[in-house]
Amino acid sequence: MRRIYSIGGGKGGSGKSFIAASLGILLAKHGKRVVLVDLDLGASNLHTLLGQRIPEKGLDVYIDKRASSLEEVALSTTIPNLYLISSTKCSLEIANIFYAQKLKIINAIKNLPFDYILLDLGPGTNFNTLDFFLIAPEGLFVTTPEPTAIENTFIFMKSVYLRKLKLSLKEANMWHICQEEITKLSRGALKSPLDLISILVARDPEKGRIFEDLLSDLEFRLILNKFRGQVNENLGEQLVEVCNRHLYPSFDFLGNISYDNRVYESIIARNIFIAKYPYTKTVSDLQNMVRDLTGEKQEPVRVRAQR
Amino acid sequence: MIKKFKDLNYYELLKIPYNASSFEIRQAYKHILAIYEESSLATYSLFAENERKLILSKIENAFLTLIDDKKRKNYDNNLVSTGEVSDNILTEKDKKKAIPIFQTSRARANNNSLARIKKKIQENKVADLATNMLKHDHISGKDLRNLRESLGIELEEIFQATKISPTTLVAIEKDDVVNLPPKIYLISFLKSYAEALQLDPKQVVDGYIKNIAY
Ligand SMILES: Nc1ncnc2c1ncn2[C@@H]1O[C@H](COP(=O)(O)OP(=O)(O)O)[C@@H](O)[C@H]1O
Ligand SMILES: [Mg+2]
Repeated sequence: MRRIYSIGGGKGGSGKSFIAASLGILLAKHGKRVVLVDLDLGASNLHTLLGQRIPEKGLDVYIDKRASSLEEVALSTTIPNLYLISSTKCSLEIANIFYAQKLKIINAIKNLPFDYILLDLGPGTNFNTLDFFLIAPEGLFVTTPEPTAIENTFIFMKSVYLRKLKLSLKEANMWHICQEEITKLSRGALKSPLDLISILVARDPEKGRIFEDLLSDLEFRLILNKFRGQVNENLGEQLVEVCNRHLYPSFDFLGNISYDNRVYESIIARNIFIAKYPYTKTVSDLQNMVRDLTGEKQEPVRVRAQR
Repeated sequence: MIKKFKDLNYYELLKIPYNASSFEIRQAYKHILAIYEESSLATYSLFAENERKLILSKIENAFLTLIDDKKRKNYDNNLVSTGEVSDNILTEKDKKKAIPIFQTSRARANNNSLARIKKKIQENKVADLATNMLKHDHISGKDLRNLRESLGIELEEIFQATKISPTTLVAIEKDDVVNLPPKIYLISFLKSYAEALQLDPKQVVDGYIKNIAY
């Protein structure tokens, strides 16, 4: 069965690309066929984390119609079973691709013939980033224990919900009903998407419920990266509880990933961290996540808000 | 429909069942406070000052209401009369109350474990330690734990002999005031604990209560 995960989370430097690359490598070592898609258009660097130079082709070739399928531009890496679709050659303007092009890319990604498709997203909350994030029904949010990173992650999460709601409302020809409220919400301080749902339900109970279900289909997990000993060990669980209560009850905590200086050194030396330092806490944290994602670990008790 | 945060009732706010014991209420209160208190990283950027104040005062009210039997009863009745919860939840609750979460009935205690503990006490020469402890008018959880460990008795065995839950036993031995059960339960637990270790219950209860200044 094909599984797609988006890896996002607002702030640049929180470790999204490092985690995407590392999870990809570990899944491939598990015998899965894995493709990493670099969707940080304009600032892609996933190849670097795989210890590679700038790839000769990628998403640009597919967009320019010089490849007949997206699979064709998935390059093999030094790791067996692991492939990379790079976007290094996508110029900065392409970060503002046309809507039709975007839809084409999105559809092609959804249909890539791999066991695992991991999408590495850029920072920020522009529409393309949000639309790419929403390709996957399952999203992984990466944050670090810093207040600014956490704040950006909350903002990113809220934006994902509002974007999903907006697209669905447009599709259902209901956008005009609450355009004003959504626009207000996306500008103001963090308010729950549940506020919008209750507006919709008040206007039209039946349809409102449909949107509530639609948002409930999304499944999100939180990763707390660059975790250090002095950080409150419950922080991850607490954040998830806050998301479930104040955003939407769709979050689980996937785990902490320990901070390790050698991650940085490895990137500089074009080494693959998890290959060079397999017996570190950081790698065992990542391995636990892979076990969780592949269902080898027993399902943890889900901590969710009451319905 | 999924409830919004501001619409949660006290039980939902604290994430506890309608028949929660006061022990559970205390735990839940501690847990939620850690998330919403001013210094919490988890909500650091999330609320304006007045929003946080509102949330904290609702949490405070929830705790103070549910921890007080009379206020809780009123609150429950109100939940039923507004249709928020059906009244069979309340009757269920009463049914549950007959078997309190803290198993105070000593009749149910496991006599085999008691016998085993007794044997250990006879084999050990820690009478001095015990007499010494009882001489002081303050007795701490640490004293109790010292004695238990000197006797080579595991916490698990005390649990089996007294049916006091291990978490409560740990709280007692750590003088963890926040997690201790309400006084009336505490006294009964201390009695069982003392009896299991063949100490004078009254002395242990008085010394312990004095020490934590209840
Ligand atoms: N667990 C970690 N321990 C130490 N450094 C890390 C860790 N994860 C990421 N980093 C460092 O953070 C930097 C940014 O990581 P990157 O994956 O590029 O972030 P993003 O893709 O979110 O912008 C990298 O230079 C890397 O050295
Ligand atoms: Mg990146």
